[in-house]
Amino acid sequence: MSSSAAPSTHVWTLDSGLTVAFERRRGPGFAFDLRIPVGSAHDPRGREGAAGVLEEWLSKGAGGRDARALGDAFDDLGVRRGGGVGPEATRVSLSGLLGDLPAALGLAADLVLRPHLPPEELPTLTDLARQDLEALEESPPDRLAVEARRVAFAPDPASPYAGYVHPASGTREGLARLTVEGLRAFHAGYPARGSVLGVVADAEPEEVRRLAQGAFAGWEGGEARVVPARFVPGARAHVLHPEAEQTHLSVTAPGAAPLSPDWLRWQLALTALSGGSASRLFHAVREERGLAYSVGASPVVLGGGGFLSVYAGSTPDRAPETLAVLLAELGRLRAGLEGAEFGRARRGLLAGVVFGAESLRSRAAGLTRDLALFGRVRPPAELRAALLALTLEEVNSFLAGYDPLAGATVVTLGPGAADQGTGEAA
Amino acid sequence: MTRRERLPNGLTLLLDPDEAAETVAAGYFVATGAREERPTELGASHFLEHLMFKGSESVPAAELNARLDDLGGHANAFTGEEATVYHAATLPEQGPELLGTLTELLRPALRPADIEAERGVILEEIAMYAEQPAVRVADALRADYWGGHGLGHPILGTPETVGGLTREVLVRNWQERYGAGRVTLVVTGAFDPDAVAAWAGRELASWPGGPPAPAPAPAAPRHPGTFRFLPDENLSRVQAAFALPGLPARHPLREAAAVLAELVGGENGDLYWALLDSGLCDSADLAHLDYTDAGVFEGGFSCDPERFAQAHATFLEVLRRAGEGLTPERVRRAARKLAVSTLLRAETPGGRLFALGMDWLALGEALTTDEQVARFGRVTLEDVRAVLRLCPLAGATGVGLGPGGHPAPRR
Repeated sequence: MSSSAAPSTHVWTLDSGLTVAFERRRGPGFAFDLRIPVGSAHDPRGREGAAGVLEEWLSKGAGGRDARALGDAFDDLGVRRGGGVGPEATRVSLSGLLGDLPAALGLAADLVLRPHLPPEELPTLTDLARQDLEALEESPPDRLAVEARRVAFAPDPASPYAGYVHPASGTREGLARLTVEGLRAFHAGYPARGSVLGVVADAEPEEVRRLAQGAFAGWEGGEARVVPARFVPGARAHVLHPEAEQTHLSVTAPGAAPLSPDWLRWQLALTALSGGSASRLFHAVREERGLAYSVGASPVVLGGGGFLSVYAGSTPDRAPETLAVLLAELGRLRAGLEGAEFGRARRGLLAGVVFGAESLRSRAAGLTRDLALFGRVRPPAELRAALLALTLEEVNSFLAGYDPLAGATVVTLGPGAADQGTGEAA
Repeated sequence: MTRRERLPNGLTLLLDPDEAAETVAAGYFVATGAREERPTELGASHFLEHLMFKGSESVPAAELNARLDDLGGHANAFTGEEATVYHAATLPEQGPELLGTLTELLRPALRPADIEAERGVILEEIAMYAEQPAVRVADALRADYWGGHGLGHPILGTPETVGGLTREVLVRNWQERYGAGRVTLVVTGAFDPDAVAAWAGRELASWPGGPPAPAPAPAAPRHPGTFRFLPDENLSRVQAAFALPGLPARHPLREAAAVLAELVGGENGDLYWALLDSGLCDSADLAHLDYTDAGVFEGGFSCDPERFAQAHATFLEVLRRAGEGLTPERVRRAARKLAVSTLLRAETPGGRLFALGMDWLALGEALTTDEQVARFGRVTLEDVRAVLRLCPLAGATGVGLGPGGHPAPRR
């Protein structure tokens, strides 16, 4: 049966300012996730695509190895690489066999601290980002996600940052303005203080601390900044995409912030709304009416704020009904949950605590996520206890004051004009 | 060691306990898929997979879904050419509910009203994939490569065939293809194998044996070696996909074929350096897929229209010259990478479930994780060369999709 001994988590701040969270776990593998708080939202205004192109540039040679030697060095360890650039962070994730942890940490540190950034590669990389943008425009759901972000989160004209209105690949104009010097300066701003490294392995904590200290010694960098997410309530937009087979629907609304006392209540409500095949959205849209194959709602955290993001895709003549059902379900949240769905949602979240920490890679990412969103690692036992302490009354009292419809921003994309599609249904 | 049992009705049990696991996973692995569909009934396997979630005679859909969610929301299913799999995972204390609910799922009522609602969902699923260029080009390639053979069937079916599937047809497909002889229940993670074996003896004994599975039409790809371009002026980029013969699942060089695909199409492979590092394409890959009696190397790329001719020629050239740059060192690296990822995937009961169940359907063997890892570790340069002698990567069948007409380069 399951071992219930809770693994203890060690959190250290190294001399450089880098925070390390380590959890010891038996088994043959290791995983780590390095989160640098520089994402596409931090792209300088007018240089959209900087963080994304830089991240690709890192792998074109680092620590004395050229691009091929670097690729071979990763393969020599047999490690699985992950990571990439999101709105708020750049991540480098590796997993492999325990004995290779020191070498893997060294390679990750080379990538982040000692990249060669060869100038001759930059034109190719900006062109690849331009190709990514074009590919994105041919995928209606991806294009909708970008448009929804653009409509729902206005940039701050006083901020030096481009904010949340563009994809990680940037914009054509921004890519055209990227320069070797500019990107090298951008790289120099990767901050040690504010970056977090989550490590899971069967190793002595002191040994892991020593390894991380050695690998990332001398890292200084700039200062970590949070780009505020300025939500535009009540906006409506329709994007014409003549070739689309489906009309794609996106609803964005405010939610609870990670540090708010309502966070878990909101999570529970979202699980009842969209957490499984008996959840409200799946039942009303797919099971009961057969209106869509893909429908769901998920929490999104941007700039320290929590937002609800809902998506569905339906063929054009059915899309107005799908949107009406989505909005009705959001409106119905205010009336509260029933006991059975509360219990189901809570069981789902409780199981999620275990599943989320089960694999080495997901646990390493969970450690950095906790540090980034909550400023500390939430022990699984504490999280379980907090979920068990939630009551139906507490969640319903939160929901009585939660009206996602009031501020919802609705963006649609499809082959017809807005009035034939869904604009009026909103 | 995996415990293996066969019930009198032919249903197979594979029990792979792990005392240290924090969860338990279970799956029904059914040896049936799109390959054996009649041409007028394309999509029947996938439709049946969806209908399983609409409830049994005694448990209505809403209650079944609630029971699945109670397990923690990790239930799902997928349909392939030769396998259809229903799986779920939960916390150890809910192990009995896991098995009970998963088994209820496999006793569908197939109610007419549910069939109609689900038909709408599947037509939406088809529409969703139909607007993804990479999916369109892959479907066209499989049709060309397999030339009407079942391994080229579109798994979702077409709007026409799905629109025409009656309840009678679906019930017949279910009766013919879900007999106990085709079904394997795999359980991994934290559970008591004696208790599960006893439960299975009681609860699964009445599962009808079903008719014997007919021998499938031998896998004979048409593989015309042609390149066909599908013009679509609404697109701004070109997608291309290619297929070449590979090795069947039970071939002793199966892992060597996977290593070859990694060397050519992996993240540090020849195609990466020729097409992505140069900026010619924004994606390029190659993989080896295996079935019971055939295998196929499938890959492709996407690029700007004006770069298509050069990208196409380079892609084919890289494949043709795959044998030239092989060294023991490169083979060892690629093999190690596959071995490590095989080992790490098996760390959770959910990961182990698929490795064990899918290999069982493909090979008829219940391999330990150590053996799966060791099979990659044993691959040598000579093995990879032997794969290339059996399957020279030349003369691919290909399909392109994008704006304008683009003739194939000369070979």
